[in-house]
Amino acid sequence: MTSFQSFNPVVTAIYFLFVTAIAMFSSNPIFVIISLIGAVIAYQLQVSEKKKRTQLYFWVLFIILSLINPLVSHNGITVLFVMNDNPVTLEALIYGISASAAIIAVLYWFGIFSEIMTSDRLLYVLGGLSPKLSLIISMALRYVPLFSKQAEKINHSQKALGLYKEDNIIDALKGKIRVFSVMVTWTLENGIITADSMSARGYGIGKRTCYSDYKFRKCDFILLIFCCLMFAVSLWTIISGDTEFVFYPYIKSQISIKACAGYISYAVLVMLPIIIEAEEKLKWKYLISKI
Amino acid sequence: MMVIKNNRMRCFLRLVIIPLIIIMVFLTGKNTFGQHYYLLISFVAAFFSLLFFICGFEQKKTGTRRMVIIAVMTSLCIVGRFIPLFKPITAITVITAVYLGAESGFLVGSLSALLSNFYFGQGPWTPFQMLAFGIIGLIAGIFSKQLKNKYLLLIYGVAAGIAYSLIMDIWTVLWYNRGFDLILYKAAVLTAVPHIISYSLSNFLFLWFVAKPFGDKLERVKIKYGV
Repeated sequence: MTSFQSFNPVVTAIYFLFVTAIAMFSSNPIFVIISLIGAVIAYQLQVSEKKKRTQLYFWVLFIILSLINPLVSHNGITVLFVMNDNPVTLEALIYGISASAAIIAVLYWFGIFSEIMTSDRLLYVLGGLSPKLSLIISMALRYVPLFSKQAEKINHSQKALGLYKEDNIIDALKGKIRVFSVMVTWTLENGIITADSMSARGYGIGKRTCYSDYKFRKCDFILLIFCCLMFAVSLWTIISGDTEFVFYPYIKSQISIKACAGYISYAVLVMLPIIIEAEEKLKWKYLISKI
Repeated sequence: MMVIKNNRMRCFLRLVIIPLIIIMVFLTGKNTFGQHYYLLISFVAAFFSLLFFICGFEQKKTGTRRMVIIAVMTSLCIVGRFIPLFKPITAITVITAVYLGAESGFLVGSLSALLSNFYFGQGPWTPFQMLAFGIIGLIAGIFSKQLKNKYLLLIYGVAAGIAYSLIMDIWTVLWYNRGFDLILYKAAVLTAVPHIISYSLSNFLFLWFVAKPFGDKLERVKIKYGV
């Protein structure tokens, strides 16, 4: 577990909401580049080695998507070359690159999100919203490993009964279907038994409380306030139009102090997981006992 | 978490805040977000229609047995999504909706989209997938009487597979282009043709083979235990 993961799930969920919202809804390439750089670095820090291979697909997608726009859209005045009597313009190419960079930045952020917001954290966030729904979710997630266990058992018993044949594909398939059918009946019955046992223990009589391991600490509060502040500044610059970026008919953008403030605050927001991680590493390195 | 303890306060917040947010986004969105208006609206609409549904479900009294059955069907969908090429998720959602009602169908569809994405990757598409599968379940539940007929059920399954793909493609174009574009949409649909075939075919096959035995099992449980 990295130290960014130790924050309260509600705070991390809000953080991801803010970061991806700006990457998705701002067409400004500067925001997109900041987001992409931050996401790529944070991805290396937070995501396990096994999942890092999916990055390759992101970049293949990036290349394909950035080439689609100049082939389809012919707006813009700077013509690079003419293909099939259709002009391919620089503006359309840059727009395509920017749009696809935004898409893979979001993909990166969601990669990190999936790594950090595991199902128990999601349950914790949902538990406040709808206790009933979070109960259904936790039961459904429980049944997934239970199924494979039960299927194994049924498989063995079918074999012991001599009903299982693997001579040809159709027999094997028939056997599998029988196992599945038995399993479905078993789970439905088992579900009813679970429900009965729940009501016997008084489910639904009083208010439901749920135990959770996550506390709302002081540092969670500080991080939340800080995120909101940074997000508010960058959103304000987007809404006021200071960070407007026009692609067509020619590329046009202005740089003002206000726009810079927007970029910097978004950069700080994006770099937060990296900063938190670096701080933890430094602490670990220099907090050696002095005795 | 910040659980609001007072029940009346909860009801009030649900009834007032959500429509307020939707109206605010509709009014202010066009001016502030310009061309991203449609993408933003699509997100807000998807998110809040899911939220509305969940809140409605939360307030209603649902039997414990029904809740457990919903959980079981959801996890069957999740497990089924691991089958390569053929995905029974729509078929199971439709069968549940036909035998247990529209609300259960919506819940099974949307929850299995949400939960299976823990294994297959969450993304900005998650709320739209949830909504699409949920609506497939909802409509199947509304027409449950007609869908007990096998041929209508098969037609519905194929139509749902095509519609799901077409709707998700609209959203793909919105995401890439930040506005709707017919040429891009055609390109997206064209590249999605193998998926459309795969969805429709798997819906057809699963409904053909599984609907009857599965429905019988659900019916039996329903009669035996009075879900």
